[in-house]
Amino acid sequence: MKNYFRSQVVAGIADPGNRHHRCRLQLLAAALALLPLVASAKLNVVATLPDFGALAREIGGDKINLVVLAKPTEDPHFVDARPSFVVSLRNADVLIDGGAELELGWLPPLLQNARNPKIEIGKPGRAQASQGIRLMNVPTNVTRAAGDVHALGNPHFTVDPIIAKAIAQHIAQSFSALDPANAAFYDANYKKFEAAINAKLQEWGATMLPVKGQHVVAYHDSWPYFAHRFGLNIDIFLEPKPGIPPSPSHLTEVIAQMRAQHIKAIIVEPFHDRRIAEKVASATGAKVVEFSQFPGGLPGTDSYVKLIDALVSRLAAALK
Amino acid sequence: MKKIILVTLAIFPLATVFAQQAPPAASSSPAPTVSNAMPATAADVDALRQQVQSLTDTVKALQQQVKDQQAALEKANLAGESGLPQNPEPSPIAGAESAAPSGSAPPQFPTEDTSVVSSTTAPAVSGTPALGGFPTTDTSVVTSGPETISSTGAGASLTQPITIGGGKNYMNISLDGLFALAYSSARDLDNIEVGDHDPQQRGFNARNIELAFDGAVDPYFEGFANIVFKLDNDNETEVEVEEAFMQTTSLPFNLQLKAGQFFAAFGRLNPTHPHTWDFADTPLVNGLFLGPDGLRGVGAQGSWTLPLPWYSQLIFASQNGRGSTGFSFRNPGDDGMFFDRITTDREARGLQDFVWIPRFENSFNLSDTQTVLAGVSGAFGSNETGADSRTQIYGADLLYKWKSSHAEGGFPFVKWQTEFMYRRFQAGHGADDSFPVAETFHDWGLYSQVLWGFKKGWVAGIRGDYVHMQDSEFTDDLDRQSRWRISANLTWYPTEFSKIRLQYNQDFLERNFFLSAREVESVFLQWEFILGSHGAHKF
Repeated sequence: MKNYFRSQVVAGIADPGNRHHRCRLQLLAAALALLPLVASAKLNVVATLPDFGALAREIGGDKINLVVLAKPTEDPHFVDARPSFVVSLRNADVLIDGGAELELGWLPPLLQNARNPKIEIGKPGRAQASQGIRLMNVPTNVTRAAGDVHALGNPHFTVDPIIAKAIAQHIAQSFSALDPANAAFYDANYKKFEAAINAKLQEWGATMLPVKGQHVVAYHDSWPYFAHRFGLNIDIFLEPKPGIPPSPSHLTEVIAQMRAQHIKAIIVEPFHDRRIAEKVASATGAKVVEFSQFPGGLPGTDSYVKLIDALVSRLAAALK
Repeated sequence: MKKIILVTLAIFPLATVFAQQAPPAASSSPAPTVSNAMPATAADVDALRQQVQSLTDTVKALQQQVKDQQAALEKANLAGESGLPQNPEPSPIAGAESAAPSGSAPPQFPTEDTSVVSSTTAPAVSGTPALGGFPTTDTSVVTSGPETISSTGAGASLTQPITIGGGKNYMNISLDGLFALAYSSARDLDNIEVGDHDPQQRGFNARNIELAFDGAVDPYFEGFANIVFKLDNDNETEVEVEEAFMQTTSLPFNLQLKAGQFFAAFGRLNPTHPHTWDFADTPLVNGLFLGPDGLRGVGAQGSWTLPLPWYSQLIFASQNGRGSTGFSFRNPGDDGMFFDRITTDREARGLQDFVWIPRFENSFNLSDTQTVLAGVSGAFGSNETGADSRTQIYGADLLYKWKSSHAEGGFPFVKWQTEFMYRRFQAGHGADDSFPVAETFHDWGLYSQVLWGFKKGWVAGIRGDYVHMQDSEFTDDLDRQSRWRISANLTWYPTEFSKIRLQYNQDFLERNFFLSAREVESVFLQWEFILGSHGAHKF
């Protein structure tokens, strides 16, 4: 569609002397007028983060046009509010966001500029993933002295497969409401996803059973939901406070704790400084395990199931 | 938490048993002390022994029970340590495990968890009852059905509060303090620095203490206000309503209207607040053409994002353009003089006396990590130096930004920003033809800056400035000196709510008909804090 439009533009201006010039301009005008119609053939879905995007793809399949704003390898707290995102949001029928202030630093100005009433909070076109999820670690007292604390609770919840199912169902409901003709398709896809997760949970649970109860160190506090699901303790962090870079004195403390508790693994995400984790690992004999909250953040993890597969097998191997 | 509840539940019957057994035990214990008066028979002692024995057994059995339960909990290793919010119903995982022995299936991983997912999602899930193992639902993590959101229609936003720090509020409030410690080789730093929020004297400066408010007015409008307090060189507080405007949120066809007091959308820097700037001071061209406070005023603006596959926006505004915030326009100037003319300072005679400000901007992504934003702007109106003297300012701006695909906290990045402006200023004969000469000044200038965020929280910057003021044999205004400037700085952002910046400026002021050349060196140490819920910044 984009190419068609471009070719019209080129045709319209490349040869101004052409006697068909006016005719071509009319074509261009027609193409412009048709733009929204062509676009509305499929649901235009925007996901703020790649995890919601992966779930939307499971549900929507080829019945949706999907745009994911953040890259799976970048820090989801700080994403540039690129002007092209305004265009995607302006054209969106559905916006899937976290709703737990993870995107607080960049989504509000985009929405303000997008001026799209279809994706306002409360409309069926706005699916907020945290809706119906009980967030962990809700601070009773919000102070920025504690670092980058999320007032509504920890927003990194999609890595719990049971929560992922709820989000997928939520997305299916939203798609069905806006595109009733394909409601059966979305529902079937949800059922398929749900069955896949239920079956996979047995596998993942069995893989994690031998390492249950172990302590793991993480760079940032992104993993309470994963830890909760699989019975791990991920409660020591390389960051002294969320969002605050590791300091030498804090790392000394972490190393002492790791030695005392015989902790075997440090998990880092693609955007973290791996060298810091390596240093701590070499001082303690632990392994650095590359983790990601987002499908696509690790090689070969283009779907949600593949991501959790990778997380579970990587961590189980490191903790053995 | 759950563990505590379970242990309490386990201890409760134990205590009850003790309470029930206690009276006979108490009545038997005094027995030896009263043995002279009432000697116990062998049968009594035997009965007591049996009683004690059975009590001991009961206690042992209960202790074992508590131990078992603790072990089961440990095994399930659920929410206890992970700090899940309090949840009265027993852990679904523990439930699954305790149910397992009675069923034929071996204990497996649960696939439901009502502690995380609401029961309303459960019916859809119940189609697969075959799994007796790992829970696939969890009500401790999912609390209520997603369908509940759709019940809040558009009308609900009438009373929809805005969230601050986990609480509910109708507006975001923040306070921003921006300070600088300055040294300059010039004794008149206020003449060297062209912006009103720039350091204005040797020593300490507090030129921008800003209260910001924003929020949804109702389903149709948003409201914004920025109230700035600044301390002058004698430490007197000046108050400035920098911005206060409302804008529409739900107009059709991608239109938006804005009305009130606001910064003109001229170029990149003018519409932004000083604390978001990458340097401690205003670029020369902005301060000298658009004014020390930027081009802003009371007016109205409409904008339209074009229905194109890329970002393309047309903006058109009209403002009174009066006073020092309409610097090159209807500005009576200090002491009623501007460019040496006695100014007219009159009411608007017609539409030609307003400032008209169009802008057209486009943005493209060169790649996944590179973005370009380019714009052209204009500002057209009349000025106060003569009966029919007019001002036109044209601007072009370009922003290029690269940000790593593995960025943490937004770092690393490289940002290059350039703005060029041309001003045509008709300087008239002044009020009542009091000035002998009318001149037309063709002035132009630009700045170009590169910022490199080389490490999380650290940014190095370099900026070049140049302004060409047309030389005049009749006008000796200090602002009409061509000049250039080189600046370099290093900024540390401990978090996005604070910064510390060290900047070095070298200024060169060129000789003109009236003024001699000058060279000035300045050093600024700038620091900033933000309290409260400060709105996210635009690209």
